[in-house]
Parts: sequence; C-alpha cells; structure tokens
Amino acid sequence: MKKDKEQIDNSPMPRREFFRKISKAIAGAGVLALGGAAATKVKGNKSASLYWQIDPEKCTQCGRCETSCVMPVSAVRCIHANKVCGYCDLCGGYYRTNAKELNTAAENMICPTGAIQRKFVEDPYFEYTIDEDLCNGCGKCVKGCSSFGNGSLFLQIRQDLCLNCNECSIANVCASGAITRVPYETAYKMKDQA
Amino acid sequence: MKKFLNSLVLLLAGWKAAAISRFPRPDFESGYQYPEYTYAVPNEMLWDIIDVAMLLILMGIVTWALYKKRTRGPILWSSVVSVAYFGFFRGGCVCSVGSIQNVALAFVDNSYSLPLAVFLFFMIPILGAFLFGRVFCSGVCPLGALQDLVNVKNYRINKAVAGALSVIPWIYLAFALLYALTRTRFIICQFDPFIGIFRLGGDIGMIAFGVILLVMSVFTGRPFCRFLCPYGALLSIFSSVSVFKIGITPKPCINCELCHNSCPVDAIEAPYGNKVNESNRTGVKRLLAYMLIIPVLMAAGGLLMRQAAPQLARANREVRLYSQVMYFEDHPDGEMIPEVEAFYSQGRTLEDLISSYEEVHKDFRLYGTLAGMLIGLVIGVKLVRLSLKRGRKQYEIAHSRCVACGKCFSYCPQNRVKAKVN
Ligand code: SF4
Ligand code: SF4
Ligand code: SF4
Ligand code: SF4
Repeated sequence: MKKDKEQIDNSPMPRREFFRKISKAIAGAGVLALGGAAATKVKGNKSASLYWQIDPEKCTQCGRCETSCVMPVSAVRCIHANKVCGYCDLCGGYYRTNAKELNTAAENMICPTGAIQRKFVEDPYFEYTIDEDLCNGCGKCVKGCSSFGNGSLFLQIRQDLCLNCNECSIANVCASGAITRVPYETAYKMKDQA
Repeated sequence: MKKFLNSLVLLLAGWKAAAISRFPRPDFESGYQYPEYTYAVPNEMLWDIIDVAMLLILMGIVTWALYKKRTRGPILWSSVVSVAYFGFFRGGCVCSVGSIQNVALAFVDNSYSLPLAVFLFFMIPILGAFLFGRVFCSGVCPLGALQDLVNVKNYRINKAVAGALSVIPWIYLAFALLYALTRTRFIICQFDPFIGIFRLGGDIGMIAFGVILLVMSVFTGRPFCRFLCPYGALLSIFSSVSVFKIGITPKPCINCELCHNSCPVDAIEAPYGNKVNESNRTGVKRLLAYMLIIPVLMAAGGLLMRQAAPQLARANREVRLYSQVMYFEDHPDGEMIPEVEAFYSQGRTLEDLISSYEEVHKDFRLYGTLAGMLIGLVIGVKLVRLSLKRGRKQYEIAHSRCVACGKCFSYCPQNRVKAKVN
C-alpha cells in the first residue's frame, strides 16, 4: 500500500494514464457526436442526391459538356423528346442556318458527327432520331432546335455512361449552372416533364 | 463499366405538351407511332451495398491480420483487391477522402441529401481508427494501397522538413471544408492525383501529378498520405488515442533497431533519453506558456483568412458570375461570354445576383475565419508538441502517423523467434 502511494507521488505514469483515458473519452465522444450529427443528414436511397443531371430548361448549350466530362467521349448525349417535336421539314436542329441547299449533304448539317438521322414519315413530316453512338454532346443541334424549333432536342447526362463522379467536372464549368445532383426519382430530367 | 450489370430501367412515358410550341404537334394520318425510349438507371442501391460490404470486409481482414495473425500478407492482398475494386473497377468515387466534403455540404445545403453509403464511407474508417488505428489506410483506401504497392525503398525525409510538410494535410482539410461549406466546389475531388490513373483518363495535369507522386512513393512511403491527405489528418487524431494499439511486437523490445528503417512513413521512433531533468513545477509552467501561443496563432490564422475571404470567394460560381455580369454591364459593346448570356437568358435579376453574391461573401467570411482558426490551432499544437519531449526507452510506433501497413512486423527478431517456435 505504502509503496503504491509512493509511486503515485513520484512517477508521472498514473497522470499520463489519466490523460490517456481522458483523450480516449474525448475522441470517443467526438466519433459519436460527428456520427450522430451527420446521421441526421442522411436520406434514404430514394431521395438521396445520387445522380448528376442537366436541367434542360437552364442549359444554354455553351458547349462545355462536350469537352469537360472526365470521360474521353462525354457522358452527355442529345436526347430527342419526340412528343415535343414539330417534325418539321426545315429542322433548326438538323440544317445549318446558312445551309445553301436543303439536302442531306454533310456541309449542310449542324451535327459535326452526323449523329442525327432523318426519316420521312408522311407529307410534310420528318422524324429525327439521334444516333447515340455518334453524338458527343456538343449541343449544336440543341441550340438550333431551341432557337428555331420547338426545343425538343436537349442535352442530358446518360446514367448508363456517367461515372457518377463525386463532383461532376462539367458542373464546375457549366456556364448556366444547369448541372445539379438529383435523387433517384428524377434520375432523368426530361424536357417538359414537370 | 460499373453499370453494365444491374440496371433498373426507368420507363419514360408521357411527355407533356411543349412549353414553347413554335410548331404545332403534327396530326399524323399514316398511323405513325411515337417512338418510346427507355433510359437505364443503374441500380445504385445494389452497388452501394457491395461497396460498403467490401469496405467492411477489407477492414476486417486488415484488422485480423494486424491483431491476430501479425503478418502483412493479407494486408498486401487487401491492397491489391482495393486498388482493383475501389480504384480501377469502381472508378475511385466515392471515396472516404472525398466524403468529408459531402458531409460538410450536407450540413449547409438543404437541397443536398447525404446518401447513406457516403455517410458510411465517411464514418466507418473513423470508427475503425478510433478502435484499431488507421486500418482503413493500411490496405483499404485505394489511394494509399496504390502508393503502398509501388513502394520499394524507405528513404527517410529530414525530420524538420517532414514535420513542416505534415501541416499541409490540415491546411488542405481546412480549405476543403471551407469550399464545401460555401457550396463552392469539392477541391479534394478536383485535385485527386490518382483518380485519373484509376480511370485511365481525365485531367492531364492531375495525372502527371499522380505519376510523380507514385514515382516518389517508390523511394519513400506514401507521400500523398503523409503530406497531402486531409482524411488521413482526420484519422490521425483518432488513431493516436485509439482503444487498441498496434505494437511492433507483443514481446519486449530488445532495441535492436532493425525495425526502424522498415517503416514506410517514418512512424517508428527511436528511444530517446530526456537529458534535462526538469522539476514538475517548471515543466507545467513551460507547458502553460507554450499553450498561450495556441490562441494567438488561432486568432492570427482566423484574421488572416478573414482578410483573404474576398479573394478566396472568387472560386465561387456566383461571385465569378457577379463580376462577369458587372463587367458586361460596364462594357455592353463587348463580347458576351456564355456565363453572362446564360444569366440574362435565365431571366435572373441583378438584385438576385447581388444578394446571392453577398450571401456567399458572408459565408466565406464566417467559414474562412473558422478555417483559419483551425490552421492556427494545428500549427500551434504541432509547435507545442515539438517542444514536449517525452523520454522513450524502446522503439515505439507514433500512432498518429502509423498507417498500419504491418511492414515492421517481419523485421523484429522477437517476432521471428515466435514464428519458429510455432
Ligand atoms: S455545360 Fe451547362 S450550359 Fe453548357 S451545354 Fe452543358 S449543361 Fe448546357
Ligand atoms: S449536334 Fe452535337 S449534341 Fe446534337 S446530335 Fe450532333 S453531336 Fe449530339
Ligand atoms: S459526373 Fe463525371 S462522368 Fe458524369 S457527366 Fe459529369 S464529369 Fe462526366
Ligand atoms: S492517408 Fe492515405 S491511405 Fe489514409 S485515407 Fe488518406 S490517402 Fe487513404
């Protein structure tokens, strides 16, 4: 007994032990506090912000979607909302504004990769389809369509191509702040789908 | 790549009529049917479960290898699996290092709801560090594992230099928190040197930086972990006071020095005799005096960062947009850059922009001050600890720095004896 007491008085060990216990307790409380506080912010998978999407109403086709994605070919593709399309012969998203002749020669096309296919439906309507393997998300057709047509073409991040970066590198440079995180329900933000 | 398996298909039917309808919807007479497109939505839920399970399994394996088997073998395999799965297969996102920002963002942005998997990726390694030390860093973090796998030699970096450099992760952490809390951007993700390597593509500058770091890690262990990783800084707090602690050997150390050079992160400290024998009282006095510099440094850091807030805020979208729009308003004949064009075409008003500009500045002043105080605190604590020299009789692990790689085990002759006996 007496020896024990002496040791306490002379040796710094018990004090060190005490500090160690205290710091352990503080750290434990820290883990609990941090975990508890962050846990209140957790949402179920249905409403958690899991995916990146372009808001087609905000996008101004600045062209950065084509070049800023981390993928070699952007995960952004043009989507055609056929039900909004006017099926026009003189398609603002198909022909260049300064096209000399309205034939399907490459120099008259807006699309630099020839990704837009045109099919005659019935007089005077034409159906336009995007070949997604060719589209690179440049948005040129979208610009044409929204300036001169019904705005049925729009750009969107394709979930099957997107790597789901923790922060989308296009969102960082998007000129119109159109790219945001969305939950599962709106994993695709479509045009005129309120 | 990750999404070719389980895809839930979301059927998208029924677009509403166009808002801008320059041309009416055609009346087809030939019985034309609108094409129906379906767009695949990957089953994120399933992948989340697999990811978290992988995290737990690998951390379990590492802990078991460290505490029960006391060998590095399983850790090495865990590293290979981690680099292959979390790195190359899953493309590096989301990782625990980046999750700091998601958690920070969730506190300030109500429109952002934290996914459960991200929360778990943030908390599980911290909990692991509190219980067993940095078992996550050991062979589970793909960034650390990648550096570990290429490591050959352990050239020791000068103590003073290493000490000074070890402040960087904290500064990085402070800035990452600042930019996440002000909803500006995720700098940890933007400046991740290894993600480009995992994805075999991306920003060339960052890939080059990653390659440089990997070349460095051949000669000295884990430069990214030691001198950059903000999550490692966070984990080091918890690992330094962890409940269970890794020892080089369970047997008494015989001070042979064989382990000293085996540590890739220079976390093994040599025995050290305290020459000056201070009385308790003067020691406490000295400590109190040192403690006084901490608040001073914190105040200085806070003030400095508050001063710098307007400069720092320039990284924010709204602040940049504000100056771009202002510039255009002053030079209306100049070229309209896409940002300004978007601003007008979205019909936003100047008042709206100004108020959000001020909002962001306010945030930057507040969080900038706090970030500065954090940096001051860390520097202060580091300085105080430099001058508090505690004697050591044996080779000991500095648990805050130890990444639990288990490399020292096989160097200790005490461990070998045991291996032969068994
Ligand atoms: S970066 Fe933004 S504005 Fe530019 S094309 Fe993409 S979504 Fe549209
Ligand atoms: S113009 Fe650009 S966005 Fe439109 S289909 Fe062609 S590549 Fe895609
Ligand atoms: S999240 Fe990544 S992969 Fe997806 S669109 Fe953005 S940058 Fe491209
Ligand atoms: S310190 Fe290294 S191993 Fe640990 S979390 Fe950071 S990068 Fe990963």
